[in-house]
Amino acid sequence: MEDGSMRRKVRDIYGFIQDNLYLNRPDMRVGEESFNSALLFSLLTALNRGKQLIIGEPGLGKTTSAEYVAAMTYRLPLGLIWASEVSGHPEQTEEKIIGRPDLGRLNQGQEVVVWSYLAQLPIKIVDEINRLPETKQSMILDGVDRGNWEYLNDVIINEEYCLFATANYQDRGTNTLIAPLIDRFDVIVESRHPGTNIALVIGMKDRYENVLRSPVYEREFQEILLERQDYQEKMRRIEDLCNRFGDHMEKEFHVRMVSQGERKEIRDCVREIPLDLDANAFLRTVIAELSFCFKYGQKRSDEHCEEGCHYTGFVCHHIKNCISNRFPMTVRTYSQSLAWLKGDEAVGIEQIKAVLPYTLAHRLQWKEDYLAQKQGDTRRDPFQIYLAKEMVNEIYRRYNEQSRHIKNALAVAYQTLSGKDLEPIEGDHPIYAEIKRDLEGVR
Amino acid sequence: MINPFEDFKKYPYRKKEIPLDRIVRAKERVMDQIVEGYLKLVEEEVKDLVWLVENSRVFKAYSSALRTVQELDYDVDDIEELCFEIDKGRRIPYLISGPAGIYVSALCNNAKEERIRLRLHELKRTFHFLGYRLPEGKTLVLEGDVGDFIGAGLSGGKLVVKGSTGNWAGAGMMRGDVFISEHTGQNTGGWMSGGEIHVDGRIRGVAKTILGGRIYQQGKLIVPRDLTARE
Repeated sequence: MEDGSMRRKVRDIYGFIQDNLYLNRPDMRVGEESFNSALLFSLLTALNRGKQLIIGEPGLGKTTSAEYVAAMTYRLPLGLIWASEVSGHPEQTEEKIIGRPDLGRLNQGQEVVVWSYLAQLPIKIVDEINRLPETKQSMILDGVDRGNWEYLNDVIINEEYCLFATANYQDRGTNTLIAPLIDRFDVIVESRHPGTNIALVIGMKDRYENVLRSPVYEREFQEILLERQDYQEKMRRIEDLCNRFGDHMEKEFHVRMVSQGERKEIRDCVREIPLDLDANAFLRTVIAELSFCFKYGQKRSDEHCEEGCHYTGFVCHHIKNCISNRFPMTVRTYSQSLAWLKGDEAVGIEQIKAVLPYTLAHRLQWKEDYLAQKQGDTRRDPFQIYLAKEMVNEIYRRYNEQSRHIKNALAVAYQTLSGKDLEPIEGDHPIYAEIKRDLEGVR
Repeated sequence: MINPFEDFKKYPYRKKEIPLDRIVRAKERVMDQIVEGYLKLVEEEVKDLVWLVENSRVFKAYSSALRTVQELDYDVDDIEELCFEIDKGRRIPYLISGPAGIYVSALCNNAKEERIRLRLHELKRTFHFLGYRLPEGKTLVLEGDVGDFIGAGLSGGKLVVKGSTGNWAGAGMMRGDVFISEHTGQNTGGWMSGGEIHVDGRIRGVAKTILGGRIYQQGKLIVPRDLTARE
């Protein structure tokens, strides 16, 4: 069992990046502590094998924040991460993103794939993903979702990987991210302007000097990656090299990085952290508001409920789509990791509330009239994250008013499904209707 | 089948409750207290299973009943409910008409309502002593036939019986009025010292000893006889 040393190590990484590499202001609070959301979620994404979409203005550190976190949590030199990055642009091809035929061997009549660094390495960074045309976004869907990369008749499967994708705000050169791809992102964060004064401090730093660069190790990594060898064997050699690089960084620069074994140990600890009953019931309440439709049974993107529905005051009335099953998985994993990072024994409402806006903002399709109504609000967050935060506060207010009643309804439902003859608890929230539907056929 | 509520297995749940459940539960609580008071009275008064009508004994039983009911919060419906409970004998194993009537009278006299109506038509058995010591300002309407000693010791109240009474109706009454829409038994008005008894039907027998007050039959004064003669 982890004794807290892993937590200290990860917190040191957060502190090191915040103080030296990605200077920014804190923009979120969890209990007594303040964090920078882009940095915090990047760290949790890297440790959790997650997928993160980073939005922001050009030049505000979207890609670099991900690069630093990736380098320190996977013991990879920065130059190698740069080499593995894929840029989104209309001319991008499968051969550059995933792999290409080995032309020399092809001339000899052999079909051998030369895999890209992106496909091989556990860290995947796609820069400006929304500059990829929609048809080409589908190319990376499988790899992004399952770590499953196919080219010609060959396939490699990443055992451990995480994805960072950056996106600029909409302009003439950007495309819409396709719904299946966007739902695969666990979280969305904004890499913000650090503020006038920190911006000046950043401006005074030497732009070419970076402690995470190591040309010697970068060459060694590349040599292994270019070898024609079994992928699993290659990954074992890469991991050995990662460890050597990590030792070198600790010895030379006192920078401690996380090894593969430590990442696994952290994930094992995170998985053990339970959700307390309030966190559990609150998450159910949120899911109910994002999936329930009184008229059509559930939310569907092509069906729009009308005015006058009893549930007009709930979020289900303001959104078009139904929340996916990936959403609760994401919330659980990220809130557990956050609780682990803070040293909490269980996930409470505090962690769930902190994580929710970033797991929801990209997944919700709001109705136009609701957007128009909220457009002019004074805010500090990008519009979609702002809307998600507002929504979370609104649902939390409703939950808070009737938390005991909701928990009672869930407890009664358990007893009913276990064979007791009890009346389902009634209430004015979609969660009660959802519970009743689960009990249909039993009573 | 998966139970998606497993996480709430140990959460202490409460059953669904509609407002009517709460009302019924409160009513049952009150009725339990009333029945308990009655059983206590019966236990005190009927040790030898024979209850004798003696003035002192009746008064003692009434005082004891009054002390019990003064601690209860009930209404007219509860009194009527008690009459049915006693009659059905579900929770009350035996009916002794004397103590039962005295207990009901104590409940009526102590009730918040000034006008009390008890629908007793459907009872299989009759109660004695209903309207005992009914005080001034109270009106008690009894619908259905009742037993003996109805309106005994009446103390200024108005007792209306829509039916017949047994013997000794209005016995020992001091003030107030008794109206009986049908018949009365023997010794009607025995030892009464004031007030009026009006009987619309037949009077089987007027008591020999009447100290005061008046008795009317079908609107005609029959007691006292001297006044009757003068009229």
